[in-house]
Amino acid sequence: MPDRGATRALVLGLLSLPFGILSPFAIWSASRSLRRSPSTSAWIGLAGGLLGAVFAVGGIVFWLLLS
Amino acid sequence: MRRTAGRVVILLVLVVLAAFTYPGAILVSLAVHLTPSMRPSAFPVTSGGLDWLHVEHGAGTPYIADQEGRRVLLHGAIPTGLIDFWSGTDYSVTNTPPYYPIDPAAYDNGKCPSNSSVIATPPLCQKDIERMAALGFNSVRLPMSWSLLEPERGKFNQQYLDRVAQVVGWARAVGLYVILDMHQNAYSRYVGRSSSAVLPGSQTISLRYYTGAPDWATFTDGLPSVWYSNNREVNPAVMEAATSFWYDRAGIQDEYIATVARVMQRFKDDSTVAGISVYNEPWPGWDLSPGFEDLLLFPFYRRVIDAITGLHDGLPCPTHVFMPAPCGYPDLGVHDTRHLVFLDTGLLREITDFPTHLGLPVSSYPNLVLGMHAYTHIYTIEHLIDPHSKPQTANYPWGGYDQSYYWGEREARAIGAALFVTEFGNDPLLDSVELVAQLREQEMHMTGFAFWLWMENCGGGGDSKPYGVFDGIDCSTTAAEPSSGCIRPGRAVLLARVYPEASSDPNLTYSYDPKTGFFTMHATARFGDAPTVVVVPAVVTGSVTVGGAVAGEPSIAQTSDGGRIVTVFPGGGDFTVNVAAAPLAQFGC
Repeated sequence: MPDRGATRALVLGLLSLPFGILSPFAIWSASRSLRRSPSTSAWIGLAGGLLGAVFAVGGIVFWLLLS
Repeated sequence: MRRTAGRVVILLVLVVLAAFTYPGAILVSLAVHLTPSMRPSAFPVTSGGLDWLHVEHGAGTPYIADQEGRRVLLHGAIPTGLIDFWSGTDYSVTNTPPYYPIDPAAYDNGKCPSNSSVIATPPLCQKDIERMAALGFNSVRLPMSWSLLEPERGKFNQQYLDRVAQVVGWARAVGLYVILDMHQNAYSRYVGRSSSAVLPGSQTISLRYYTGAPDWATFTDGLPSVWYSNNREVNPAVMEAATSFWYDRAGIQDEYIATVARVMQRFKDDSTVAGISVYNEPWPGWDLSPGFEDLLLFPFYRRVIDAITGLHDGLPCPTHVFMPAPCGYPDLGVHDTRHLVFLDTGLLREITDFPTHLGLPVSSYPNLVLGMHAYTHIYTIEHLIDPHSKPQTANYPWGGYDQSYYWGEREARAIGAALFVTEFGNDPLLDSVELVAQLREQEMHMTGFAFWLWMENCGGGGDSKPYGVFDGIDCSTTAAEPSSGCIRPGRAVLLARVYPEASSDPNLTYSYDPKTGFFTMHATARFGDAPTVVVVPAVVTGSVTVGGAVAGEPSIAQTSDGGRIVTVFPGGGDFTVNVAAAPLAQFGC
């Protein structure tokens, strides 16, 4: 039976890319889902969340350095 | 098999989303930052005698400079007579023709069409430009309307461009730079007008201050055109139309870029034109900050810059469809690399006086200027919530008037742009508070300004007074009237300031007291550096003295309107320029 948390993680992970603020929730949701049962959706959600977080933090650091 | 295909599809969605959104946008910004700035074209001999301007990049905030590398301050106002405002007395008629003649012949040899209260602002005539010069201004921000530049899709109105060129010619004759401004307010005057307040809490609108896009580029999808709290942008039809533009629906953004390119093609070799303001007060529509600025607005700016300069800062992408943030734009063959490009912040920043996004480098084009609109206590959030709040007791912005300027400088540095106040203005009754404070901030932060606005007829309705430098006209009649009322002496005294127009010391400090006419400036320069030029408007009568390390006596030239241009030659070291306190001259009507 598919884990509903994996779907949530996937959606949050994808939304983390345009809305970086969602990335912690995506990472948290994906990690919980992966602990219960590994699934591709959760892995992709985790990847999206991590990508969103890295670029959100990186973007802020970049701005601070330039400004 | 189907499960594998599903995984591949999801992975592809992830990759495409990453490329189209922040990861892609930030990587392009990084690439732009690492790209060496292009070398601007050599400055040819100018036809009008005005130096070409550019942006100097050093340790601090970049600044506008002339050909000799001197920091240049631009002081000016915004005449709105070329804007395609709605006009009339019957609000149900939405599609009214342009009120003032477009043919330049109607303005030749000092002619000026009659004014009327049926339109928001008077016509722009030669006398106006001459009066600006008499106030000591050295620039004019000239708003134009896309709806008049390209009234039919693909058909460019050459006559309107001739009219713009006519004003540029007037400015050249009196030594004023022109900042061309692709103006819009609430997207377009073709958003329509619902005959009743069809949505809860809404009000029927007045189209009087709506302007910008032509009818064919205005997609409202039948949404009602009503507003809330008299805010023209908070209108479902405006939200929809603006959003359609940012997503390049039906290729309208491509048409806009082509229009900007045509304008710059016309003025490519004219140094009187300081540059172009790409899009006035960008409204996000249904989008939210910071995504609007990061993923739609500033990438759009990059595309315009690519198109008119021939740079290739973004990725090559198909045009005439939605272009994601990393996309650049094809070279449209203009190759204009000598003009400043003014990039207005998103409109929401006027409400916050604080960055609504963390702007990153947008283009490797070096001549970028971040355009800030400073309307503290007028459009900032505390005043929108409580329109009766007073500037003196307002609890926002927490950093006072300085908040907007402090953050504006940081935003400009991050983008790699100079900072310029492309608009500020206020109710004349509040000049002693608002205008004084804004001008003081501009001195402290060494930013130039364009004052909103030169002349206005009747104000925005209700208790609102016309914001112009001049009194408005009789609004109880729709008969033909003169261009405007008398100049407002209290306001003119504040705006007609002594200021260092050009100096080889970018870190000079100065202050001017409009009550007494006293001016003092401290600068440092090497022997042989280009001279410092100080503008003393005719209203200021005090004697000029210089001190410290200067080479010889300053040159003081009298202008035709009674002002003085003081030129000081550095002798190597610190020097000062002072104008003594003295009674100010009176303004006539």
